[in-house]
Amino acid sequence: MTERHYLWFALAFYAAATALTARRLQRGFAAGTLHHVNVALVVAGFLVHTLGLFLRGQHLNRCPLTNLFEVQMFIAWSLVLFYLVIGPSYRVSFLGAFTAPVVLAVVLTALVAPIDVLAKVPKKHSAWVEFHAAIGIVACGALALACVVGLMYLVQERQLKSHHPGRLLLLLPPVDQLDVIGFRLLVVGFALLTVGMIGGAVSHRVVGAWPWPKTVWAVAVWCLYGVLFGGRAMDAWRGRKAACGAITAFVFTLAAFWGATWLSK
Amino acid sequence: MNLVVVGLNHRSAPVEVRERLAFPKPALGEATCMLLGAAPLKEAAIISTCNRVELYGLAVDADKALAGMRRYLHDYHGLQDSVAPHLYEFCNNDCITHLLEVVSGLDSMVLGETEILGQVKDAYAAAQQAGATGPALNRLFQKSFAAAKHIRSNTGITQGSTSVANVAVELAEHIFRDLRTSTVMVIGTGAMSEATAKALRSRGAGTILVCGRDRERAAALAGQLGGQPIHYDDWPVEFDRVDIVISATAAPHPIVTPEKLEPLMKARHHRPLFLIDIGVPRDIDRGCGDMENVFLYNMNDLQQIAQENLAAREREIAVCRALIAERVAALAAWLEQNQDSLTQRYA
Repeated sequence: MTERHYLWFALAFYAAATALTARRLQRGFAAGTLHHVNVALVVAGFLVHTLGLFLRGQHLNRCPLTNLFEVQMFIAWSLVLFYLVIGPSYRVSFLGAFTAPVVLAVVLTALVAPIDVLAKVPKKHSAWVEFHAAIGIVACGALALACVVGLMYLVQERQLKSHHPGRLLLLLPPVDQLDVIGFRLLVVGFALLTVGMIGGAVSHRVVGAWPWPKTVWAVAVWCLYGVLFGGRAMDAWRGRKAACGAITAFVFTLAAFWGATWLSK
Repeated sequence: MNLVVVGLNHRSAPVEVRERLAFPKPALGEATCMLLGAAPLKEAAIISTCNRVELYGLAVDADKALAGMRRYLHDYHGLQDSVAPHLYEFCNNDCITHLLEVVSGLDSMVLGETEILGQVKDAYAAAQQAGATGPALNRLFQKSFAAAKHIRSNTGITQGSTSVANVAVELAEHIFRDLRTSTVMVIGTGAMSEATAKALRSRGAGTILVCGRDRERAAALAGQLGGQPIHYDDWPVEFDRVDIVISATAAPHPIVTPEKLEPLMKARHHRPLFLIDIGVPRDIDRGCGDMENVFLYNMNDLQQIAQENLAAREREIAVCRALIAERVAALAAWLEQNQDSLTQRYA
């Protein structure tokens, strides 16, 4: 079996977790057993996902972050990693239910789209490059989860503002808690992004100039999250504004990364 | 061997009858032992709450046992008149079904309430400690508790509050992550605002501020709620530390408007604010509900949610009954299979 097979298996687990989410929403109440099955499916998917990435790394003899396929796979992996840390720590109900479909979408796009093309390996290989890329992608995982939490916030706020909340109101955490978690993920994500940027600047000296589209992308993403961080830290943007910001910024990050990668060819 | 139950509840008897037949909680164990002596029963347990009194038993002859249990109820409480028209009786499968419906909250005055499970657990513990239960009732009660738990977590029968005060609390719990750190301000001292503030306090609301034009009433209510009274004109001053406002004044015009709220929200760093408007005419301008991080509910909204929640619970009854039927079949089969061992044990 190749590493892609393992990644397809991981996709199957995430798909099962997503199907279970739909079932839970349809039934409209927090079925205890279904919640545990949901978490178990995501954990199983994460383990197989990790194995797939590990084998890919062994095969390449370096960190598997050489093309768009690997980057997306890594973002999905770090998103699940953050979910597995945040979910139990904050006892956030239904976070897994919202995370599974996002992970499924990212992994499925990576596996189906023709983006798994062998990249040219730079002559000057540097540990700084791998460090910069890995930290940047882990940051994207935290920011992806902030996007998921933002989605949950908007759904819960809509329930509360509608004056006719459905049973989804009872399933989702309080808006206040979602706002705080979203901000903490933004802080972690932005800090990692900053470290990644510094790594990128150092590796620039070692491997030479980065392609300009990626440099522009990285600076734009960092500035965007910097503005979001500043706005939230000064209490100007909290609640709905912060949630919309987290979603828009992450969608921009992914879309712009695709664009930058194509332009860098 | 037959499982039997004799009892009355809020549907079969008015409160005047129910209170005459109630057993004091500390006397439950002793009363259960007396029941074993008074009626031809091998095992017994008594459930007594404000809405129901029920005697459960295991008997060789169901008819004689039911007659003995009825007589015991009269004799224990020294009744002169007959309460027989208010009593219901069930045997075997119907008895098991009844207990499962009771513990699941299907037979409660407030459909799906969960307090009854704890009350039945206490009643069972009292009977067990008094040595009045045996293999049949032990199995019946323990399986009924497991069934209630299963039904609670696999259906929507307990979800959504059905009273206005509790709906307000439930909404607050979905806005704030911890009510213990939240501050509630009560403006106006009506019965409904008092009930809502008490419900919030019972769920752990941290600080309660009470302001009313009548200072004595405000101070009295603050005393009852363990809160602090403030001057009516000072409510905007205290607003920056408030998370939940319950407003029920007799003011002819809205006392909270978007224009007034905007600078107050800024001073509160745009923290979420839950406004509960119980006043008629309304105290809070509808426009406040359109502001970011402000969640405004009036009396109509809360009443409508309570009704919708009740309707949603009623729609779950069929699912609950199907789950109960499965458990009843299993318990009935166990009783059938263990007839010989039970007969031998109590020969």
